[in-house]
Amino acid sequence: MSYLLMKSITKTFPGVIANDNIDLEVAQGSIHALLGENGAGKSTLMKILYGIYTPEEGRIFFNGQEIRVPNPRAAIRLGIGMVHQEFHLVPSLTVSENIALGYELTRNGLVDRKTQRRRIEEVIEPFGFKLPLEKAIADLPVGVQQQVEIIKLLYRKAELLILDEPTSVLTPQEVDNLFGVLQNLREQGKTIIYITHKLREVKKICDFATILRRGRVVGRVRVADVTERELANLMVGEQVIDYIFPRSRQVGEKKLILERVSAVDDRGILALKDVTFSVNAGEIVGVAGVQGSGQSELVEVISGLRHPAKGKIWLNGKDITRSSPRQRREIGLAIIPEKRKEQGLNLNTNVVENVISTRYYKSPFSRWLTLFERPAEKFAQRIVSEFSISMSSLKSKVENLSGGNQQKVIAGREMIEQPDVLIAAYPTRGLDVSAAQFVRETMIRRRDQGGAILLISADLDELFAVSDRILILYEGQIVGETNPDETSFEKVGLLMTGHFHAS
Amino acid sequence: MNIDQLTNVLFAALRVMTPLLLAALAGLISQRVNLLNIALEGLMLFGAFFAVVLGAKFNSPLLGLFFSIVFTTLITFIYALSIIELHANLIVAGLAINILAVGLTSYLLVVMFNARGAYSPSNLVSLPHLNLPLLKDIAILGKVFSGHGVLVYVSWILAGLCSVFLYRTPQGIHLRAVGERPEAAETAGINVKGIQYLALLLGGVLCALAGAQLAIGDLTIFNDSMINGRGFIALAAVFFGAGKPSLTTLGCFLFGLFEILQFRLQTSANIPPQLPQMLPYLIVVLTLTAISFQKKFTKRMAG
Amino acid sequence: MQAELPHLDPATSQINVEDSAEQIPSAILSLSRMLLTLIIALLMGALVIWISGKNPVEAYRALLQASLGSRTAIANSLLAATPILFTGMAAAIAFRAGIFNVGVEGSLYLGGFAAAWVGFTFTTLPPLLIIPLSLLTAGIVGGAWCYFPAILRSRLQVDELVTTILLNHVAILFTEYLVNGPFLVPGLANAMSPQISESARLPRLLPPSQLNASFLFALLAALFTIYLMTRTKFGYEIRMVGDNAQFARWSGINVVSVIEKVMVFGGIFGGLAGAGQVMGVHYRFIAGFSSGLAFTGITVALLVRNSPLGVLLASLLFGMLRSGSATMEIMTDVPRDLIRVLEATIIFFAAIEFSNLLWRRHREH
Repeated sequence: MSYLLMKSITKTFPGVIANDNIDLEVAQGSIHALLGENGAGKSTLMKILYGIYTPEEGRIFFNGQEIRVPNPRAAIRLGIGMVHQEFHLVPSLTVSENIALGYELTRNGLVDRKTQRRRIEEVIEPFGFKLPLEKAIADLPVGVQQQVEIIKLLYRKAELLILDEPTSVLTPQEVDNLFGVLQNLREQGKTIIYITHKLREVKKICDFATILRRGRVVGRVRVADVTERELANLMVGEQVIDYIFPRSRQVGEKKLILERVSAVDDRGILALKDVTFSVNAGEIVGVAGVQGSGQSELVEVISGLRHPAKGKIWLNGKDITRSSPRQRREIGLAIIPEKRKEQGLNLNTNVVENVISTRYYKSPFSRWLTLFERPAEKFAQRIVSEFSISMSSLKSKVENLSGGNQQKVIAGREMIEQPDVLIAAYPTRGLDVSAAQFVRETMIRRRDQGGAILLISADLDELFAVSDRILILYEGQIVGETNPDETSFEKVGLLMTGHFHAS
Repeated sequence: MNIDQLTNVLFAALRVMTPLLLAALAGLISQRVNLLNIALEGLMLFGAFFAVVLGAKFNSPLLGLFFSIVFTTLITFIYALSIIELHANLIVAGLAINILAVGLTSYLLVVMFNARGAYSPSNLVSLPHLNLPLLKDIAILGKVFSGHGVLVYVSWILAGLCSVFLYRTPQGIHLRAVGERPEAAETAGINVKGIQYLALLLGGVLCALAGAQLAIGDLTIFNDSMINGRGFIALAAVFFGAGKPSLTTLGCFLFGLFEILQFRLQTSANIPPQLPQMLPYLIVVLTLTAISFQKKFTKRMAG
Repeated sequence: MQAELPHLDPATSQINVEDSAEQIPSAILSLSRMLLTLIIALLMGALVIWISGKNPVEAYRALLQASLGSRTAIANSLLAATPILFTGMAAAIAFRAGIFNVGVEGSLYLGGFAAAWVGFTFTTLPPLLIIPLSLLTAGIVGGAWCYFPAILRSRLQVDELVTTILLNHVAILFTEYLVNGPFLVPGLANAMSPQISESARLPRLLPPSQLNASFLFALLAALFTIYLMTRTKFGYEIRMVGDNAQFARWSGINVVSVIEKVMVFGGIFGGLAGAGQVMGVHYRFIAGFSSGLAFTGITVALLVRNSPLGVLLASLLFGMLRSGSATMEIMTDVPRDLIRVLEATIIFFAAIEFSNLLWRRHREH
């Protein structure tokens, strides 16, 4: 009987099946990788195991018994622990205070620091950890913080540890440290589930791997028996070309140029490193990459919402590195932002007010102070018919539209006036087939009219179908550029996951 | 300034700092659970009101204090309920409490005592003052530290207890966890809502004490503008002290000193009272600015 | 712990909601919500009256009589409504953009003093010059006063709520200093400035009431604000920023500029409100003359969910309450402070309501 068996797990969210009849079997004392691209369903599956979600169907067996996990506390009680990507540590508390949080030992009402310390040392001794127990978490590097998270689980007597993308925040040295720790844990009989999309790491430290794609299990392997290439293949799947658009016939001058652009994300970490590329008139350049490779920052930097730390950007021949978002739009930029509801729309108002948001200050929509309703309504009407947006009335609130129609509102607003350069970030995310196809056709049409389009997408099928060139972004750098007609999913997949020896 | 004047000033500063300190402790505890308590001002006013009115009714300042705590905490409970259960907007609810305090106390003052603006019951004595047995005979220290009202000493003890509570008891640690990383607290099994209630209710008690000290600590008087922004100065002290009881206490002492010096200067050097009174507010604004500035600067450096 | 305040992001701000000047069904919904809040507040007030041993019905009747019962009564109600129109609009605009500008009280004092200063300094100017000059000065001073916390918020993300509350105290103290110091008029019991010249005084509209031309200015300002919010580019920007600041940013709207303008706007209106009181009622600057006028403005804005038309109507209502309450006190012994209790109740329920609305919205997504 296997140590952990998750059987026939199905979990859906509105509009998407996150886990589709998944079986997962983990052997005791092993390090088991849960591998897949973003959106494949790995996190969801583990959140079910950890009690954050409840599946619609399926059962979980642990240690020979069927278990129910209604919440994380229950999971902990069963001996299952999870280290999230964002640590659940309290910055101003010390290491030992964090480890013992919720399980403090007291004497006379006060925390018994000495005994607690001894207890913690007892727990970590067999694993060879060396931690400054009395230092505040905020003063410690990320790698050490992660160790504290792991020890927290051990202190609570976890036997099965789930690590969610543990190396996403670590330096290479810290990664090596972590691997040492994991091997230690395995020697002590702990079982580890390792969620990742990084093939190198899977090969280095994991014994087994279950590969997920689009919510389903597509492979179960013993890591020693497969190559990285085979894993990459499983992750991204076979190339299924069920539609293809004709490639661009005429490529013109450079419309968008990025030169050695580097940028820092909100956490202060470098998210773009020396990025250099250009997009020409009459071509669609696709950007492939796993989530978190710097795509958001790339879009923000081009849009003017984030200042690059280094580098320059040119649009239509003009240096826009210091220009405001509105100035960039004036020069010829249009943006379909990544987050439809938070960035692309004002859900609280109607379509008319949404589509004039980028041009309300210009004639014919306004003059002096006044905003004119009729031109705005006509404009909206034009977009609605050209983009076949279905709605009850122009005046109904945008939040009542379907996701597909909402996206069409954004696409319509951005594309109706033939922008010179269009940045489209995940424009078909969450759309049904026809809506997605419509958006792609519109982009192709724009390209054929001479527009320059930068398409960022998580869908390799889409990228291959639509792009004239594909750039691969990995950890903030462009690690490759290919022609979709001369490459394969497999090669792109390898580059996306950090394997650079693509031939 | 000679020794006598200095000891007088220090004595007065310690006295004046008490309501600030109590309110600041209230603000501090709320701030530690990440609930900005705008209502300190109103709760202090309620505290003062109940202390005077009920103290006069029962002819006992101690009973006045007791009932002040009871009723102020009751009002705090409603405030807490609206924020924690009904998800009321923290700021707006706080504003409501402040306006309610002014309105209701003035209203009741007229209705109960036909007194508009101020009320000073002749029958009520102030809270007891303590002449500390050994200390009072020591030359300078005695003059500074002995003879204060009981709540003054209580405030010092509470400040110390606050430190112990936050840093050495499990509940205090949980409280800090809830304020800093509620997700961490939740997965640790801590009852986040319970902690939030605890923080606000403790704050209510402290505000009652603060108001009582102002109202019946030395003289026995109530007037509707007696809090005079102390609720916000207390918040200023909390920001100063970055949430640490020790530094917050220091901040309160400095503000108390300011207040006293300003009184003295007024008579001796003819500096209008309002100008030094403006300082605490301006200093807080500057502090907040400096903090935001520093954050922006460090973020840019990280690139 | 972080020595910072929970920053209230306009995009998720719980204080601004839909512009109720929208479709019919949602307008009816909003109206009924407002009425419900009012009714609850009145019931609360009735409870308070009853507990203190008086008759609520009598009290409310007296209130009604005193506010609407005669031509003078109505004039007095309009008089009381005048500053509230200004401060209500000031609050509504800021809140609609998701900004907690609580600093209008400070602008009120400083603007009021500025108008008084012009009035008692340039005593030789004729009315046609001095009145616009006074108003202009008041507006500029009031607006400038709110500019400082505005840039702190727009460029450094310093929470405007705390800064404006604190700065209110500074403004109040400063003007108190001015009339107790440099501009002290010796021999008077209360601290007040010299009287403004005859030419600087706003004409009375309906003697014996003190209703004066400032009411007309306030009305104009209110109508202007309605126009601003519904028909101008700026109004559009305010609404977009208030609904979803991120969206506004991505669309190219200069959010920083909108925030600053909105706060300065509030300051200008606050200054004008103060000027109106000085030039139309007291004819001098009196320390502490505003018994929370700006906060009543906030109450009004919260009650009507920032709809400018609603502010117009609700200001008149609150003018009624304020003016009627003094007489109510004389007639029925119910202190006029009851109005504050009503205000507090309204604000309290507004606080709860908003969040429930937000909560419902979250559920749907």
